[in-house]
Amino acid sequence: MTTLEIPHVGAFDVDVWEQGSGEPLLYLHGYERHPGGAGFLTRLAADRRVLAPEQPGWGRSTGFEAFVDVHDVALFHRELVASWGVDRIDVVGHSLGGMFAAELAVLAPQLVRRLVLVDAFGLWLDDEPALDPFGPAAEVAAAKWHGTPPEREPSNFVADPDDPHAAILFSARNLGSATKFMWPIADRGLRRRLPLVHAPTLVVHGASDGLLPVSYAHEFARLIPDARLEVLPEAGHYPQIEQEDAFVSVVSEFLTARDAS
Amino acid sequence: MKFHWFAQQYYTKLPADFGETVHSSWVTPPISVADPQQVGEDYHLYIRLMQQADTLGWDSLLLNEHHQTTLAMTPSPNLIASVLAATTENAAIALCGNSLALYNPPVRVAEEIAMLDCLSGGRIIAGIVFGTPMDTAFSYGVPPIELRERFHEARELITRAWTAQEPFAFNGKYTQLRYVNTWPRPIQDELPVWIPGSGSPETWDVVNALDYCYGYLSFSGKQSAAPIVGGFWDYTASQSANMNPNRMAFTQIICCADSEKEAEEQYADAVKYFYRQNPTGLEFATPPGYNTLPSIRANLERARTQSAEERTKAARGELSFWEYDELGYIIAGTPERVEQRVRELATELRIGQLITCMHVGDLPEQVAMRNNELFGTQVIPKLRDVWADEEDRWTPRVSQERVAAKFGANAGLPAA
Repeated sequence: MTTLEIPHVGAFDVDVWEQGSGEPLLYLHGYERHPGGAGFLTRLAADRRVLAPEQPGWGRSTGFEAFVDVHDVALFHRELVASWGVDRIDVVGHSLGGMFAAELAVLAPQLVRRLVLVDAFGLWLDDEPALDPFGPAAEVAAAKWHGTPPEREPSNFVADPDDPHAAILFSARNLGSATKFMWPIADRGLRRRLPLVHAPTLVVHGASDGLLPVSYAHEFARLIPDARLEVLPEAGHYPQIEQEDAFVSVVSEFLTARDAS
Repeated sequence: MKFHWFAQQYYTKLPADFGETVHSSWVTPPISVADPQQVGEDYHLYIRLMQQADTLGWDSLLLNEHHQTTLAMTPSPNLIASVLAATTENAAIALCGNSLALYNPPVRVAEEIAMLDCLSGGRIIAGIVFGTPMDTAFSYGVPPIELRERFHEARELITRAWTAQEPFAFNGKYTQLRYVNTWPRPIQDELPVWIPGSGSPETWDVVNALDYCYGYLSFSGKQSAAPIVGGFWDYTASQSANMNPNRMAFTQIICCADSEKEAEEQYADAVKYFYRQNPTGLEFATPPGYNTLPSIRANLERARTQSAEERTKAARGELSFWEYDELGYIIAGTPERVEQRVRELATELRIGQLITCMHVGDLPEQVAMRNNELFGTQVIPKLRDVWADEEDRWTPRVSQERVAAKFGANAGLPAA
C-alpha cells in the first residue's frame, strides 16, 4: 500500500501493481476493476517500469470520499506520480481510466510524455447514444466482448475464505465508485478540455466495443491536437485482453517512437 | 396507536396483460398505456377517498413521491397534499415523503412543506426519503454513490432553514446559497420528521440520533418485514435510543368486508392486479452504489422469513387471496378479524404508526369507500388502546387534538 496525503483534499491508501524497470508508465484501469498482473501489463513491463495503481474507491484502495469531482482525481494522479519521484511519464488509460488519463494530461502537461487512451469514456454523442453500462447485466456483458467472454476476466480480486460475500462486495464497491463519474452519462465536460492535451496521443479502440461505438474513438482523435487512431479488429471493450498481441504491439511501437519535437 | 390513510396512486386501467408483457413498470413503462383523462379521474378518486377518511377518524392522510411509474403517479406528494390541506379538517397530512436529494436547491422542499403547514393549520408530517433506485438513480439521474450524501446535506439545510432566525449562508458540497431565508415558515415549532428506509443501519443511526420516526414501507407484510423491523428495535435498544413504538411506521394493505366470503369476492382481483402489474426491471432496482457496503452485507446476512418461491409467486399475482393474507401481504376479512390481526401486528412488531393501504390496484371506488367505513368505524376505535400511554411527538399536535375532539378521548391524544 502506498499512502498519500494531499493537503486540503484527503488521505489515500493505494494498492500499486508494479513491475519492470526503465522508462515509467502509468496504467489506469477501467470502471470494472484493476486487471491484476494481466498478460498485457506484464508484457508492457518487459522493457519499462509499469506502475498500475488501483484507484481510490476500487478494491482495497481508499480515499474515494475525498473526491468532489473528476478534477480531484486528476490532481490525485499528479500527486501520486510526484510521490514516486517521477517527473515525466507515459500514461495508458483504459475505459474510465481513459477519462482520468486525459484529465491528467490536461491538468499536468509537463508530466505526461505520451498518452494512450483505450476504449475511453468521457464523451457523449447525441447522434450515437452509447449503451448504459449499468443497464441489464446480460446485455452489458454481451456488449463488452467481441467473441465469447473469457472464463475469468482479469482481476486483482483475491477471495477471502472467511467472507462468502467478498466477491459481491468487491464488485459493488468498484461499480458504485464508477457511478460517481459515469452516471447517468459518462460525460464530465472532457470535450471542452481535450483540445488542451499537449502529449502525443494514441487512441486505441476495439472495433466491436458495444459499450462505446468506434465513433467515440474518432471523436477523441478529432478533439486532441496530436492524436492518431488505431482500431483493433475482433476486439470489444477490452482489446488488451481479446487482442493482446496487437494491443501490446501498437502501444509499444507508439511509446518507443522518437518524439517529433 | 395511529392510523395513516394511504393508497399507492396506481393507474387503474392498465391493459390486462401489462404485467406479463412490459419489461418494467418503473422508469421505462410505455406512456401509451395511460390516458391523461383517466389519470385525472384516478387522482379525483384518491382525493375523494382521503377526504372521506378525514371524516372517519384517520390520524393522517399520507402521500408519497415516485417517478416514471404506473403504480404511483405522484411525482410530487405536495401537489395533492395542497388540495387536502385546503379541503380537510382533522387528519394530519403526511408527506412520506419528499426525495430531498432530487431537488436543487433543496430549499424548494423546505418552502413547499412550510407552505403546506401554513395552509393546513399546522397539520404536516415532514417525511423525507432517499427515494427508490428507480426514482433517484434512473428517473432523476443522481449518481447512486452520491445519493445519501446529497440527502443528508439537504436534510441539514432544510431543517436549519425552517428554524433559523436570521438569513444564513450555506456552503455545501452540492448546494451553495448565499442567502437562505425560507418564506413562509411552518406553523409547528418542530415539524415531525419521518425517514422511511429499507433496513440500512446508517439510516437507523440518523433517525436514532435525531429521534425521528423510522418507517418500513413495503407491501410484503409482516412475515417478510419482521427481520428488518425487529432489527431496527434491537439496534435501537443496543444504542439505548428511544424505544417509543410511535417511532415506527409500517404499511399494511387492508381489505375489510362484512364477511370473509365478501372480502375475497370484492378484493381478490384488485390485490392480484396490484401485485402482478408492477414488474420492475432488475437493473433498475439494484444499481451499484445505491446501498452502502455495510447495508449490502447486512442484507445478505439477514434471515429470510419467506422462500424465494413465495416471493416470486406473490409478485406474479399467483398466490391465492388467503395465501396473501396468511403471509401478511394483506389483512382481510370482517372488522373483527382485521382488528385482531392488526393488533397482533402492531404489538408484535412494536408499531405505533400504521399506514393503512385502503385502496389497491383497480379496486372499485365503492369497495374502497366501504373499506374506509368499516375500518374507520369498527376497527380504529377498538385499537386506540394499543400503545395508548405512549407519547407521540411524531404526529402534529393540532391533528391529534382535532381527531381526539371529534372521535373520542381515546383517539388522537394519549390517555392522561
